[in-house]
Amino acid sequence: MILQKKEKYLQIALNSNLQEAELIIKQLPISKRILVEAGTPLIKIYGTEAISRIKQLAGSQAYVVADMKTTDLSQQEVRMAAEAGASGIVCLGVSPIETIDLFIKECKSIGVDSMIDMMNVQDPLMILKKLKTPPDVIILHRGVDETEFSKEKQIPYYQIKQIKDSYNILIAVAGGDTIKEVRQAIFNDADIVIVWKEFYQASSATAKLAEDFLKEIK
Amino acid sequence: MLNPRFKYLQIAFNRSLPEVRQMIGLLPVSDRILIEAGTPLIKRYGVKGITFLKDCWEQKLQKPGYIVADLKCMDRGSTEVKAVSSAGASAATCLGLAPIETISEFINKCEAAKIDSMVDMMNIQFPFEILQKLSKLPQVIVLHRGVDEFEKQIPLYDINKIKGTYNVLISVAGGENLRSATSSFFNNADITVIWRQFYETPEQTAQLAKEFLELVK
Repeated sequence: MILQKKEKYLQIALNSNLQEAELIIKQLPISKRILVEAGTPLIKIYGTEAISRIKQLAGSQAYVVADMKTTDLSQQEVRMAAEAGASGIVCLGVSPIETIDLFIKECKSIGVDSMIDMMNVQDPLMILKKLKTPPDVIILHRGVDETEFSKEKQIPYYQIKQIKDSYNILIAVAGGDTIKEVRQAIFNDADIVIVWKEFYQASSATAKLAEDFLKEIK
Repeated sequence: MLNPRFKYLQIAFNRSLPEVRQMIGLLPVSDRILIEAGTPLIKRYGVKGITFLKDCWEQKLQKPGYIVADLKCMDRGSTEVKAVSSAGASAATCLGLAPIETISEFINKCEAAKIDSMVDMMNIQFPFEILQKLSKLPQVIVLHRGVDEFEKQIPLYDINKIKGTYNVLISVAGGENLRSATSSFFNNADITVIWRQFYETPEQTAQLAKEFLELVK
């Protein structure tokens, strides 16, 4: 695994367009604890160019996550994301178990981190139990549409400890965007906090915001 | 936009764009053929892949053809539908496994953009459970065995069960030969999706398409 188990990370998801992405990346503080994500819409709009462009902008040392949300044809998708420069690649937990197994295997053989996104999965442990090998990272995720249209849906923080008690893997939390939610994730022992809303468009506050988030995540 | 009285053949393309251009050039001219920009193709080339396929097919048909964007939307229904419809897609797909909020938003946004909505039931045991939760139905339900799920069978008996209750078209994906295409149409499917034979032997595109097209006449 490329990520360190002892560190806490801030993952900044870029979702609007490549021009905004460039402005945002330029303002980010240099830190090994920042992971830059090529969001799914960006990949679907620009293709793997979104990944390679972000890697180029963030620098050769940067850790880029490709939010491919793979559901099928794992091998093909892992290879194209890795070739474009991704260090971590995302597969959906709702996909067929065969897809997830192939995905993890391909990530391992290429040497990139495998991340399984548990959006809309009731019990992530049920999925983990079925896998041949566990992934490097599990993402607990409340989707954007879920957040928008069903405000009562919560991120299940209690699952973090549940999973970590049984598996030696990192946990990322996505779907909360305020400082309060970031604190809550870290308090509950998350290793990676994924944010996007505050980083959708670049502003004069982008740099400060990233620094503030980083301070919370220790 | 699809005619419920017709049967359609949907060919999914996942090779490089220059190869896809050649393959589309080899297809017979037919309204019964739907051209799909496969998920890996979209993730590799982005929406310009969709526009490229649209242009190639239009050149061949000498009029605009039907392009399916296999988005496999899981979240952000609105953003993704807008992106592919402005790229020229006639239909887009959403995962049945996505949160209900996403599927509903996806169907609404497709309707607003005047493109057909297709919900892909890959890895869903009971498509009915999803359909019952939707306030608005999609135009098409895709029954789908994923490529990575090589051991499973496509539940063809679901076709008539769904059609008996809901006014939707049924597309079947994951069968790879003439025999499975024949049996999906025999079981009342409206669309059959194929890709592997085209992907593996692109030089035989013309012959393959002709054989499959016999089934939808």
